[in-house]
Amino acid sequence: MNSLLMIILILLGGAILAYLAKRITPVLSGIVSFLAILSATLVFFFLLDDQAIVKINVGNFILQWGVNDYSWVFGAMVMVMASFASFFSIAYMHGKDRLGYFYLNFTLSIMAMMGILFSLDWISFFIFWEIMTWSSFLIIIYNGISEGKIGIKYMIFSAIGGYSMLLALVVTNSQIHSFMISDLINSFAGFSASYQALLALLFLIAFGVKSAVMPLHVWAPRAYADSPMSYTSVFSGLLSKMGVFGLGLMLLSVFSKSTNSTIFVYSEVLAWLGAITGVIATFYAVIQTDAKRLLAYSSVAQLGYIVVGLAIGTKLSVMAAIFMAIMHAIFKGNLFMVVGAVEKQTGTTDMNKLGALIRKMPFTFFSALLSIIALAGIPPLGGFIGKWMLYESLITSDHYFLIILTFLSSTAAFLYSYRFLFGLFLGQEEKEFENVKEAPFTMVLPMVIAALALLVFGIFPGLLFEPIANAMTQLGMGDVSWNMTMLSNGWGDHVDTLSVINSIAVVFILAFIFLGLKNRKKTRYVTTKDVHTSGEIPTENENLTYAVDFYKPFERAIEPVMRRKMDFYYNKFGEGLETFFDFLRRVYTGNGQTYAFYVIAFLVILIIFSKQIFL
Amino acid sequence: MPNDKNSQKIVDIIKNAARKHSLFVLAYGTGCGAIEIPPTMTSRYDAERFGISGMATPRQADVLLITGYLATKTLKRVIRAYEQMQDPKYVIGFGSCTINGGMYWDSYNTIKLLDKYIPVDVYINGCMPRPEAVIEGFIELQNLIGEGKAEGAKKYKDNLDWYRANQRKVIKNWNMPDYNW
Amino acid sequence: MDTSIWISILGFLATVVLAFTVGVFYGGIVRKITARVQNRVGPPFYQNFFDIFKLYSKETAVNHGWMQHLGPALAITASVTSLMFIPILNGQGWPWFENLNFKGDLIFLLYMMVFGSLGMALGAGQTGNPNSAIGVSRGLSQMVGYEIPWVLALVALMLQTHSTSITGIMEYQTTNNTWMMFESPLAFIAGLLAMLGMFHYAPFDVAFAPSELSSGPASEFGGKYLGLMMTSGSIFAFVKLTLFVDIFMGGASNLIMLVVKTFLLYMVPVLYGIVSPRYRTEQSIRYFWGWPTAIGVLGVLYVVFIR
Repeated sequence: MNSLLMIILILLGGAILAYLAKRITPVLSGIVSFLAILSATLVFFFLLDDQAIVKINVGNFILQWGVNDYSWVFGAMVMVMASFASFFSIAYMHGKDRLGYFYLNFTLSIMAMMGILFSLDWISFFIFWEIMTWSSFLIIIYNGISEGKIGIKYMIFSAIGGYSMLLALVVTNSQIHSFMISDLINSFAGFSASYQALLALLFLIAFGVKSAVMPLHVWAPRAYADSPMSYTSVFSGLLSKMGVFGLGLMLLSVFSKSTNSTIFVYSEVLAWLGAITGVIATFYAVIQTDAKRLLAYSSVAQLGYIVVGLAIGTKLSVMAAIFMAIMHAIFKGNLFMVVGAVEKQTGTTDMNKLGALIRKMPFTFFSALLSIIALAGIPPLGGFIGKWMLYESLITSDHYFLIILTFLSSTAAFLYSYRFLFGLFLGQEEKEFENVKEAPFTMVLPMVIAALALLVFGIFPGLLFEPIANAMTQLGMGDVSWNMTMLSNGWGDHVDTLSVINSIAVVFILAFIFLGLKNRKKTRYVTTKDVHTSGEIPTENENLTYAVDFYKPFERAIEPVMRRKMDFYYNKFGEGLETFFDFLRRVYTGNGQTYAFYVIAFLVILIIFSKQIFL
Repeated sequence: MPNDKNSQKIVDIIKNAARKHSLFVLAYGTGCGAIEIPPTMTSRYDAERFGISGMATPRQADVLLITGYLATKTLKRVIRAYEQMQDPKYVIGFGSCTINGGMYWDSYNTIKLLDKYIPVDVYINGCMPRPEAVIEGFIELQNLIGEGKAEGAKKYKDNLDWYRANQRKVIKNWNMPDYNW
Repeated sequence: MDTSIWISILGFLATVVLAFTVGVFYGGIVRKITARVQNRVGPPFYQNFFDIFKLYSKETAVNHGWMQHLGPALAITASVTSLMFIPILNGQGWPWFENLNFKGDLIFLLYMMVFGSLGMALGAGQTGNPNSAIGVSRGLSQMVGYEIPWVLALVALMLQTHSTSITGIMEYQTTNNTWMMFESPLAFIAGLLAMLGMFHYAPFDVAFAPSELSSGPASEFGGKYLGLMMTSGSIFAFVKLTLFVDIFMGGASNLIMLVVKTFLLYMVPVLYGIVSPRYRTEQSIRYFWGWPTAIGVLGVLYVVFIR
């Protein structure tokens, strides 16, 4: 059977089996879901045949599925991180209820993502897009936290995006009478200017909702924070990349062929929106006190960078954007798994309450440390490479002020990165968390493997450059050169990652040996209660933790920027509409004489303007 | 090697020279004698030319100055600060109150002889000693370090029980944690 | 192994020794100058050597966990690695100081310099001292402040010299026989003002001041840890000075000129710092986002439209 069909059917069957398996025992649904995703991953990597095309006839439409280089990159990322997340989820969701419902929707979203990547025509793309939307909606409301508000907000924005896409592809069909994506790519340049502008706007709205670009990002922070953590690693890591996939397809294949200047303006505006999203979301992340919300705002900010890279459109920036997308999936998925592990072991993720889990959960801390270093973009891990390429592309393509915004948000990212590590793992030991133990092995294993993968990709970025270069050629950007361990920009400057890691490793090991061996017997460990408190001895219940208002000076400095949230404007718009509708309601007065007056007035108007209307 | 004894001494000589020329004083004024420290450290009687500078926390400091009388309440905090410092550490007793009780020789809550509670390397007498006397005390400490005779910290570790017994006699509410020497 | 590897290893060691010596000497010279400004004699020039050796000769050490143990190691890793990637001498110079100059560029250095602060911040975090945490939060917030004019200055330079590596900028200065200080004066002023923040001297030393929060992040480090951090701090000061001299003042063709130029440059933050009080954190952030950023923006516009 065709490998693509096999993947979709395995995932669909796994979803249904997971739901049914709950009758036997709840743990089994998690295991069934993991096995389904794992086997789909194995099929994807070993049996995939990229020449095969699946054709299904449904009524008047022909659904076509196939895989090309561009979808292969995203597909690999989705499958690998999904298997990690589902393996993590077996132990994380242990003991919760309605597990069949959870795993059904979990596996369905994975299936829908693979379907989106495999679609060659717009109808199947739209079908899988909507499956992805409602299965993620069902999981957002799983926890029951404010299910009304955040679920409905997500549904409204996804509906706006979905309907824009539907409108766009109906308009396309009316012009070229075909639903194939390749036909749209080839014939976009031939549309009239107004149709090009309309289609561009609709597609950008549709994909912008999923990639949380300002102003369409308001659903994202609460939605990421309120879902169960094992699903959020899929949600923020992989679902948002579907929006990136669509944006890449639109911006690089479809719009680049057009010579219309409005399209060029859209790209510039999108780049600025992405940069502003990065800055504002980072500022909001700095002032959060809950670890989940912090990571959610940080996801929105990182997606802003990726959108900037795609919108600029040079070879280096697109490679930076796709590289950052893959890195973001890995480290953000890892970080949400870390928060899930902490939540399961301690019961809370409030950074004002937690502290000093480093000695109790060392492996979790190790993977959190590597992921945070990658998020901040510090060498030698993988995050630095994406950021380096993004900055270089911004300089070499003359976008000077975008680089200021990007650098501002990147520097402010250090603030919340440190807050995350300090609030959860470092600091004073708290009495109530004395008996916390390390997370179970099945939860630690995917986290540590993902963290080590970041290190490997930081030293040998060429491992990822090769598939990305093929994907970019597929998108029509021409030949892209790449090097296994060297990053270069167009002006001839480069960074050699091997010498970086050599230098860092040698010096670090020497310093570590020196510190370790010097006075080895006389180095003693003391608890965190034995600190310099000016001679006082802190009693058991004295609180020496510095957590509340951690960044108060920074908040005071950026206060003018943070006065209004985007929610405020949407609320005002909604209230305005309500007032208008309230006014319109007065048409129905319930009085028969008013209705008679309406009929007569209508006839009078018809008679007076009969010449203009009926001619 | 025929020069073993000498080469050991050379390492010690270098170490003691480094320790002697750079003394970090804990910025902790325990009693009224602390009023003489700012003039010593600042422009008129510049102590920094001998390498003496102030540090904020006991973890970073070498020298603890007990300036003047020591109430038993303060003694508890001083002991904690002293035990947070790292070897080799020195104590300078400042003023007559540390030698024999000084002005408060018949008070019920000050201690009369500092050496019974924490080991003292150098006493500077006076009430209060002028900055020139303070600097002379520091130079005496430097000479002792140079000769390798400033062994207060070792004395404390070896005779810990005796010091603890003395401290417990004076300090009524003893809730100090046990340190793992 | 063949001799080129031995020569490069020797070059690394020579560079580290040079940076350590010059950095520690500058520390002592700064104390002497501070003392003279305050009308007193001051410690001898080599005082900081004694301080560092004394710290290394402490017999016991106290740590609060393995992350604190690793903090100074990460700090010195960042300092030495940044040192490897900066050209010490201009053009031909001695081949021994080439190190890894051609393997990295300016943006990589910007991130490498942050790596050290992060390592120290993590180490200070594990101690559990609230003063350390407050110091780290203030230091990081200030960093957001001074990075903006610094990046603006660097962007102006990179656009003008059409290269993002330090060796490229130095080549531009050699071939055009000028200093970037005179080619883009606005960028130089913005960079100089940002450099005041980078050195954490008064008025921007609220994160590390002893009287402010008992030395902030360094409050629980003692003995060998504090010694390693002072070493790394001295090397790092040398790194920042050499970077600035290389990109704005045309590098140096021999060691004497390097010492003279870095010393003249170092006097700017030091002399300004001796007589300044301290800004609060939000005051320093707002200051950096005010005039220095405006000058930086003007510098970028100047390069784009006039050159």
